[in-house]
Amino acid sequence: MFKKVGVIGAGTMGQGIAEMLSKKGLEVYLVEKTEEKLEQSWNSIEISLDKQLEKWAITEAEKKLTLSKIEKITNVHKLSECEMIIETITEDLDEKKEVFEMLDEICSPDVILASNTSTLSLTELASKTKHPQRVIGLHFLHPVAEIDLVEIIRGLRTSEETFLKTLNFVQETIQKKGIMVYESPGFVTSRLICLLINEALHTLEEGVASAEDIDTAMRLGYDFRYGPLEMCDRFGLDAVLAALERLFREFGDLKYRPSYLLKKMVRAGNLGVKTGEGFFRYDVDGDRI
Amino acid sequence: MKILVINAGSSSLKYQLYNMENESVLAKGRVERIGFESSILAHEPEGKEEVTEVSEILDHTTAIKKVVQMLIHKEHGILSSIDEIEAVGHRVVHGGESFSNSVIVTEEVKQEIKKLFDLAPLHNPAHIMGIQAVESTMPDVPQAVVFDTAFHQTMPASSYLYAIPKALYNKYKIRRYGFHGTSHDYVSDRAAAFLDKKPEDLKIVTCHIGNGVSCTAVKHGESFDTSMGMTPLEGLMMGTRSGDLDPAVVPYIMGKVDLRISEVNSMLNKHSGLMAISGDSSDMREIEEGMDAGDTNAKLAFDMYEYRLRKYIGSYAAAMDGMDVLVFTAGVGENSSTLRKRICDQLTFFGIELDDKINETRSKNERRISSSNSKVEVLVIPTNEELVIARDTYKLINN
Repeated sequence: MFKKVGVIGAGTMGQGIAEMLSKKGLEVYLVEKTEEKLEQSWNSIEISLDKQLEKWAITEAEKKLTLSKIEKITNVHKLSECEMIIETITEDLDEKKEVFEMLDEICSPDVILASNTSTLSLTELASKTKHPQRVIGLHFLHPVAEIDLVEIIRGLRTSEETFLKTLNFVQETIQKKGIMVYESPGFVTSRLICLLINEALHTLEEGVASAEDIDTAMRLGYDFRYGPLEMCDRFGLDAVLAALERLFREFGDLKYRPSYLLKKMVRAGNLGVKTGEGFFRYDVDGDRI
Repeated sequence: MKILVINAGSSSLKYQLYNMENESVLAKGRVERIGFESSILAHEPEGKEEVTEVSEILDHTTAIKKVVQMLIHKEHGILSSIDEIEAVGHRVVHGGESFSNSVIVTEEVKQEIKKLFDLAPLHNPAHIMGIQAVESTMPDVPQAVVFDTAFHQTMPASSYLYAIPKALYNKYKIRRYGFHGTSHDYVSDRAAAFLDKKPEDLKIVTCHIGNGVSCTAVKHGESFDTSMGMTPLEGLMMGTRSGDLDPAVVPYIMGKVDLRISEVNSMLNKHSGLMAISGDSSDMREIEEGMDAGDTNAKLAFDMYEYRLRKYIGSYAAAMDGMDVLVFTAGVGENSSTLRKRICDQLTFFGIELDDKINETRSKNERRISSSNSKVEVLVIPTNEELVIARDTYKLINN
């Protein structure tokens, strides 16, 4: 059973993962490059906990306990105390490679090094380390607290032991459902959802139906929580575009070619919930207007 | 033989160290306000001065470690070494239908207790943390668990079943289990002894009023009905728990406010009861202070709390076709003369008459607070769940 886990990168995913790990009783080291970035993400975690408090989901004491188990650090050497490190920095292959090279130096070989990448090659990240057998993918979905699924990705050289320890961590310690995925662009979740969103965009572009009606069709017709266009708004149009471009590049298959409408909207700066406007409009709390 | 008894509640942890040769208490104490900045560890070693330590204790594991440190403390301790503790007994809230008696802790027992997390989300996780903390501090010491549900296993089906499709009981064991069994068992037994009567000859309503609140109809020495149900949420209004409400409210608010299951559980267990109505406190002492100061929310909270208790007492008198004895116990029941008076003054229909003077006299002893004219004996019996747990643990270890 792991007791201490490091999270590198305190962006949206890093914050969500750190908060969730702490709630499951683990001690967390949250790492960022600068004190300012750490403070920003700390504020976001507090806001997230305050929202839960407002909804009666937690108590003041639980909020305090959650925060007390997360330690903010900029000194990566402290990560040597952890049993597992989860990397959640931006989806940039070179930057991630650097992080893995560094972690490989700091952590003893039995420490599991996991990446939250949704599209990059684990095998390539692992190739930068002396112990590629302990490198694995751990793809959480946003919002981490609410989604009980984790994709566990085996790179070419990930050992059985690393996989089993990670699976145990996912199912027993953090009590989520883990599915095993062999390395492939987009794994299962991103590959299927990006295709669905792209097809919804084509449908919209062709004037088959309005954005509202496309989403309503999928919500009511197939019991989706959000329709594909609202999903795109929530993921961020830029992120969806980047993912589709990577899928298109990796597979070379035309079905992954991003819709032109998506490109235009990204160029216009309509990135979805984070800018308040995408296919629909949103308030500061991310609720539809 | 020395036995340590641990009673881990939702935000408190009580402990007592017993010398079983004469059932004497060597030390006792409690950690209060677990999860807060200023947690209080109050330690009372026998024959030594009481110590109070205020520090930040955020979880039960830390709490138990602090208790153990205190027991072997050079100055305030009572043991020279931790090895003197030969067994540990734990209170466990939910034993489901798996346990109708106390048992020794094994891997299987722990698994079974974990399976019941859903049914007692405030308590069973704390108990497991307590058991694990003891395992890590004293790995070779045997542990026993005593269940709150065990005493109520005598309830007839007409008391324990819910009027919902029977398949839900057959498949998932959805039924009423009742809680605070150790306490109801002990105080009803003591009440009979106090009156110099046999439990078999009495119809007793016991009111355990602490942070959690429950009433039991103890008919001829056995639990006949009790207010808590499948979980400790049913029944009376409590510090932070709602007690009875129309079950249709739950799916309705889940849809209206977009609450998930864990959120609605948290709302009903941790954000309701006195806390919700008064707006700022789940503590009856503070509610009474607020009421005296003219706070209308505190008054409403008190009124609702008292009214619901009185309704249950009345219904249990009807359930048993009579009531010989009414017992108040636990933190609020033993200490709030105001609450006892408000309840009893409106139960004159049963022939209850309180002796106001005795009622208002603070005491730690078992006592009668009804007048000599009263048709029902009204008693205050301080509960002693720890002693029952120590006795059960002792019996199990020596078998």
